[in-house]
Amino acid sequence: MVLQVSVMTPDGIFWDNKAEEVILPTNTGQMGVLANHAPLITALDVGVTLIRTDKKWTPLAVMGGFALVKQNQITILVNGAESADTLQSEKVEASFEEAKNQLENAESEKQRVDALFQFKRARARYQVIKQLVN
Amino acid sequence: MEALSGTRASFAGATHAFTARKLPGTCRRISLQVRNAGTREIRDRISSVKNTQKITEAMKLVAAAKVRRAQDAVVRGRPFAENLVKVLYGVNQRLRVEDIDSPLVENRPVKTVLLLCVTGDRGLCGGYNAIVIKKTEARYNELTKLGVKVRLLLIGKKGSAAFKRRPNYKNAIGNVYDMGQAPSVKEAQVVADEIFSDFVSQEVDKVEIIYTKFVSLIASEPVVQTLLPLSPIGEVCDVDGNCVDAAEDEVFKLTTREGQLVVESEKTAKADPSDFEAGLIFEQDPVQIVDALLPLYLNSTLLRSLQEALASELAARMNAMSSASDNAAELRKGLNQVYNRKRQAKITTELSEIVAGASSV
Repeated sequence: MVLQVSVMTPDGIFWDNKAEEVILPTNTGQMGVLANHAPLITALDVGVTLIRTDKKWTPLAVMGGFALVKQNQITILVNGAESADTLQSEKVEASFEEAKNQLENAESEKQRVDALFQFKRARARYQVIKQLVN
Repeated sequence: MEALSGTRASFAGATHAFTARKLPGTCRRISLQVRNAGTREIRDRISSVKNTQKITEAMKLVAAAKVRRAQDAVVRGRPFAENLVKVLYGVNQRLRVEDIDSPLVENRPVKTVLLLCVTGDRGLCGGYNAIVIKKTEARYNELTKLGVKVRLLLIGKKGSAAFKRRPNYKNAIGNVYDMGQAPSVKEAQVVADEIFSDFVSQEVDKVEIIYTKFVSLIASEPVVQTLLPLSPIGEVCDVDGNCVDAAEDEVFKLTTREGQLVVESEKTAKADPSDFEAGLIFEQDPVQIVDALLPLYLNSTLLRSLQEALASELAARMNAMSSASDNAAELRKGLNQVYNRKRQAKITTELSEIVAGASSV
């Protein structure tokens, strides 16, 4: 356990723990970080961050932000974070379907931008739930 | 005629209990209130004042407890804000030579302005809501005079009720949100999403927020700040162009000193650019990273404004209720005096009647 991972939201510190491996949903695809990674800064998309402690993977839905990797300290600053403990699976599935519909039926540019945001968040939550099942 | 002046006097007494000013003529007003009243009426009035005082005192304590909670929320958000400012500062140091071209910093010719008006959900807090509403109206008129179209986004029940009542704002009012008891990321996010999509889809060219800045428990200041377009180095500017560098932001803190609640404001730690070593890899194009940073910054600024507005509201309520309690106490004291005087006068009259009756036998 060499990586110190802290996930911060404007509400407070959401997660602050040691880990062995972290997979980040960056803007340009997923990126894994192991111990002694070179210092790096990356933008994060709305998606799922995977944190491995021992052999256990913990999925967290993160709502866009960035991550800073420096001397085995990973600071993830995001708009919002949710874990499986804070989500209810039925609600998440329903809102995922709804967001998908809204995106498909969006007409104006404003509606499309709105719907895309909603969809991305709903999808991240959905993936957290599904990750647990598998 | 007497009945009329009586009702007016008791009405004056009722408003008096809730105004913050200390009026010199309290005693005269008291005697006016109960001029023609019998002892029973005065007794009723005293118990009514007593009840009002209890209520205002309780409201004061509730507001004080809530200010504390509002402060906790600000403190909890601090690690996020500090880290964000540090990174934003560092990235900008590195990017100083490059042009940053993000949709959130785009300066367009201003045709439509979105005004965010932050008020509270409830009254009984002195002039808090009225001041923000007046400021919003002034800004609205100012902008309309310049030929700019203005749209309003109202946060807080009091503000929305006030603007819905006025027919000339009918077409300007957009979405309306409640302030809630504790603004969280979720609420800020909903509002931020709306202004973000409005701005990016070019429906508005500028977003300004009017809220009450928390200075101290007894002072707060309504301000107009530009939210969008953001300045690329993370500054918050008011409409006059005075900018506060985000790195030198102040965070207020409520503490107790000798049993009194006091507010201390402290500067957040100045971002240290040396934290940002030269070897840092930018995983994406720097512009993309700035793109990811700025929405975060927008959200946290918005959340911070909401939290400060709430803290100001609670502080205003605390003060209003505190002076209401003081006034009620004074009123009660005066009424008690009048009551005792009347009671004694009655006893004296009765005694002298008895004595006179006995001596005449």
